[in-house]
Amino acid sequence: MIVFDNICFSYGTRQVLKDISFSIESNERVAILGGSGEGKTTILKLIVGLIKPDSGRIGIDKVDITDKTEDELREVRKKFSIVFQEGALFDSLNVKENVAFCLREYTKMSEEEIEEKVGKLLRKVGVEQAMQLMPDELSGGMHRRVAVARSLAVYEPRMFLYDEPTAGLDPVNAENICNLIVDLSKGGIGHVVVTHKVVDALRVVDRFMFLQNGVMIFDGNSYGLMHSAIPEIQIFISELNFNSKENRQFV
Amino acid sequence: MNIKGLVSDIQDCYLLSIRGILGIFRRPFYFKDTIEQMDYAGAGSFLIIFLVSLFIGMALSLQLSAELSRLGLKMYTGKVVGISIIREVGPVTAALVFSGRVGAGMASELGSMILGHQIDSLRVFGVDPIKKLVTPRILSAVIMLPALTLMGDAVSLFGAYYIAVFVSHQSGYFYWSSIKDILNFENVLAGSIKPFIFGYLIACISCYMGFSTKGGAVGLRKSTTRAVVMSIIMIIISDFILTRILLYVLGFSV
Ligand SMILES: Nc1ncnc2c1ncn2[C@@H]1O[C@H](COP(=O)(O)OP(=O)(O)O)[C@@H](O)[C@H]1O
Ligand SMILES: [Mg+2]
Repeated sequence: MIVFDNICFSYGTRQVLKDISFSIESNERVAILGGSGEGKTTILKLIVGLIKPDSGRIGIDKVDITDKTEDELREVRKKFSIVFQEGALFDSLNVKENVAFCLREYTKMSEEEIEEKVGKLLRKVGVEQAMQLMPDELSGGMHRRVAVARSLAVYEPRMFLYDEPTAGLDPVNAENICNLIVDLSKGGIGHVVVTHKVVDALRVVDRFMFLQNGVMIFDGNSYGLMHSAIPEIQIFISELNFNSKENRQFV
Repeated sequence: MNIKGLVSDIQDCYLLSIRGILGIFRRPFYFKDTIEQMDYAGAGSFLIIFLVSLFIGMALSLQLSAELSRLGLKMYTGKVVGISIIREVGPVTAALVFSGRVGAGMASELGSMILGHQIDSLRVFGVDPIKKLVTPRILSAVIMLPALTLMGDAVSLFGAYYIAVFVSHQSGYFYWSSIKDILNFENVLAGSIKPFIFGYLIACISCYMGFSTKGGAVGLRKSTTRAVVMSIIMIIISDFILTRILLYVLGFSV
């Protein structure tokens, strides 16, 4: 569904992605791993057309989106549900209005219908008690959950994109978010999770890509990742606690 | 700052201003956001422009009655004060205050939305940030600044009246009749075109600076400062150019 064909991208003179190619099917569960500032967020932004590559083509569902205008991209973006780093909630609106944002924008629902739909979405992600709170009153975990609920409001997404869904969360909240991610992709909806935490990635995906210095240096399953000889990847996976039974089952 | 960056900044700002205005004519129109912005820009700036105008009017009147009475021309105070306020001081003062209060607010609000990826969220949801955020701000500035200027002019004239009559002991009747004399078509036109243009400039510059924010809290400080500084410079420069054009068009000889 997502095809990157020799993508190069730079901010000004600083080249972030160098000749990246990969393809992801809509039912795949993929993690893009890499250190901070390696260009992981940049890849997600390229997928939904928020930025344009310097060279190379990007295809979504066999349609080339590289030269599409903002209006034409709207159709493409409907296929994805994207949750940005830190959630990116509208901080001047409360939780209810955040989730209702797209409903108010695109549907003619009455106030009661909106209330009901928002309640349903918040229950789905497990934060219905936060309805009237403002984003800065939420904990990190609730923030991400609300962002997930908001991205589910209007369309049935074909694929989920998460940018660092567990960054900055304590292990319990990170676990809950991981469970939510797995739950949401039941029924064959795939997801792309961008993260620098291998532990959480192992829980939610089957395929791993590793980004380093603007190049995809690894693409494969968890077995391949664990037995990779690449030193940077070994540093990443060394954070795993090999004594824990739970993690050993992946290896 | 290099020349290339400056030129591309001006070009982008210009494009933003055009697209912001065109947003009025394309659906959907964000009525509620526009009202909210008008409330913030207009009602919120009322008191501060009231105060500033009052004291400027009084100071101007004081200066001129002191000077003119030395020349024995005290009765011209109303006329000179009135012309300066309506044509020049009123619009410029209101615009400067407006840029400091509303322009800075626009730039920092949009800047923090950029930094928090909220603008990206809007685009992903298929909402055009220019139509949703810039158009309402341009509209509110273009509508509210002229209204505020009108109010400020009136307050200034009352301040000037107070000084002329109660401090400088001139005839109040004569003061108002000279004000009535100068409220002719030329002066009113010269004074009332300016705030529309100033409002447009302030909103476009501030929104552009907000949108070009990058680099965290320091970046936000920079873009807010730049929004106010650029607005002030552009207000003063365009005031001169407009005055020149208006005097020419209205047939005054300098
Ligand atoms: N708007 C921008 N302007 C200039 N440079 C940027 C911008 N956004 C990101 N970068 C740079 O591009 C690189 C990749 O950024 P990003 O994709 O956000 O990294 P990651 O998500 O992997 O941490 C970083 O080094 C960052 O400094
Ligand atoms: Mg990132």
